[in-house]
Amino acid sequence: MVQIENLSFGYTRKQTLFDQLVLELKPGYIYGLLGKNGAGKTTLLKVIAGLVFPREGRSVVSGYESRQRVPACLEDICLIPEEYHMPSIRIDRYVSLNAPFYKRFDHDKLAWLMKEFQLQSAQKLNQLSFGQKKKFLLAFGLSTSARLLLMDEPTNGLDIPSKSQFRRVIAASLTDEQSVVISTHQVRDLETLIDPVIIIDEGKIIFQQGLEQISSALAFETIPEIKENFQPIYYEEGLGGYTAILPNIKGKDTKMDLELLFNGVIANTRGINHAFKS
Amino acid sequence: METNNIFNIRRLYLLIRRQLLSNATALLIAFGAVAGSLLVISLFVAYFQPANLAGLTGLYFTVMFIGGYIFTSNIFAELHQSQRSYQYLTLPVSITERVLSAWILTAVVFPLIAILSMALIVFIANLVMNFTFDMEPFQSVFSPLSWAAIKVYVVTQSVFLLGAAYFRKNNFLKTVLSLFVISMVIQAILALSAWAIFSPLSETGGIQIGPQHMSEQMERLFLNYIPSVARIIFWYLFAPFFLVVTWFSLKERQV
Repeated sequence: MVQIENLSFGYTRKQTLFDQLVLELKPGYIYGLLGKNGAGKTTLLKVIAGLVFPREGRSVVSGYESRQRVPACLEDICLIPEEYHMPSIRIDRYVSLNAPFYKRFDHDKLAWLMKEFQLQSAQKLNQLSFGQKKKFLLAFGLSTSARLLLMDEPTNGLDIPSKSQFRRVIAASLTDEQSVVISTHQVRDLETLIDPVIIIDEGKIIFQQGLEQISSALAFETIPEIKENFQPIYYEEGLGGYTAILPNIKGKDTKMDLELLFNGVIANTRGINHAFKS
Repeated sequence: METNNIFNIRRLYLLIRRQLLSNATALLIAFGAVAGSLLVISLFVAYFQPANLAGLTGLYFTVMFIGGYIFTSNIFAELHQSQRSYQYLTLPVSITERVLSAWILTAVVFPLIAILSMALIVFIANLVMNFTFDMEPFQSVFSPLSWAAIKVYVVTQSVFLLGAAYFRKNNFLKTVLSLFVISMVIQAILALSAWAIFSPLSETGGIQIGPQHMSEQMERLFLNYIPSVARIIFWYLFAPFFLVVTWFSLKERQV
């Protein structure tokens, strides 16, 4: 679906955000793209969508180089950005003006999603709340039947019921042909949805594993104390002890803590990745 | 069915429709304000100074030119707003269709609507004049001079189309400023060239030239050859050149 080959990118000549980045995204997965502020999550989505161009290397979507922005490629991409401006027109007018560009646009799915999100087609887009606008964009994006959905901080601005509604809708409406890349720093909102997890830092992919691999290689446990002869790969002090990431030597089935994993990967990349090799 | 990645007439139609209907309210308000003002001016002139009514055609075309250049300068407005540009750039249409739709709207649809509106204003003003003073109607806007003006507009607006794609803010003013600077540079180059060519021929070393300084070949060059080439460049190459540069400007455009 997406191949990123030796990608180098920077907004200025002196600054380099990505250096020889390599990434492959396959259909049928919901990728969680995690990283610190300024790590380049949004920029990576823009590169994939062909909105910014690599300095070196290339990004290929459905066999087409993204930067060429050819219609066949754009039909397969739907980007839902974190911040957006909606025109001062009604929802039904927006749909009638934009949906015909997508050959596989599914009007029944749109009607279902609009009902699910409690949106009325007569509502004016610029009069919707931030969360409602996001829900509409999501409904429209999913209805385009694009094979690649790129979402930048999709749960920002959504209230608590809407976040679980978001997870339900995404899980229910995706097909095996589609893949989703969700860039987020609110990992707790999406930890039940995303699989695999990709973490970028300092212009490189420092971690990319599926949930199954993570569960079999790592154990997430609360331990009362840190012993000198038994150091976890990573730990954080919490109430009543330490939450720690340990090598899952005994094959325990523990509940994955995505936030802890993210912090662990950032703090001890080598240690975490070593657990997967061994 | 395989998607044609270069040109598809349906996508072109959809893009023109999207462009027009997304901005319909703003376009109608602007059109109503301008056409209404011209109608009021025309009615005043028809009533108080009917003999001067024919002179208004110049005003109509001045408004058409300036209005058309401003409209053209804003045709890619969606592209230059950070929170809207992603929608425009990820819309499944080719660069050729983006340029063509903008060109059709600004160089075909706009002058067509402008000339029809002018004809309507003239018709209404003529009615007032006829009923009030029983005077002969003045000449219609559909004169050879009007068609020549429209042809000049269609050619020159291509510069503003490039300005619309290239500049991110204040497109109209920046395009006008660029044209001013470029024309100054060209005039300076021409003046220097004239000085370099003619000063050796002049007794005073200046660039005053008369028939005595021109050979027959030179006269032919300046009076026949250069104006013919300039005409060909202006009518046939000027607009296509700027459309091609606009195409490349859109192709390389990033958010």
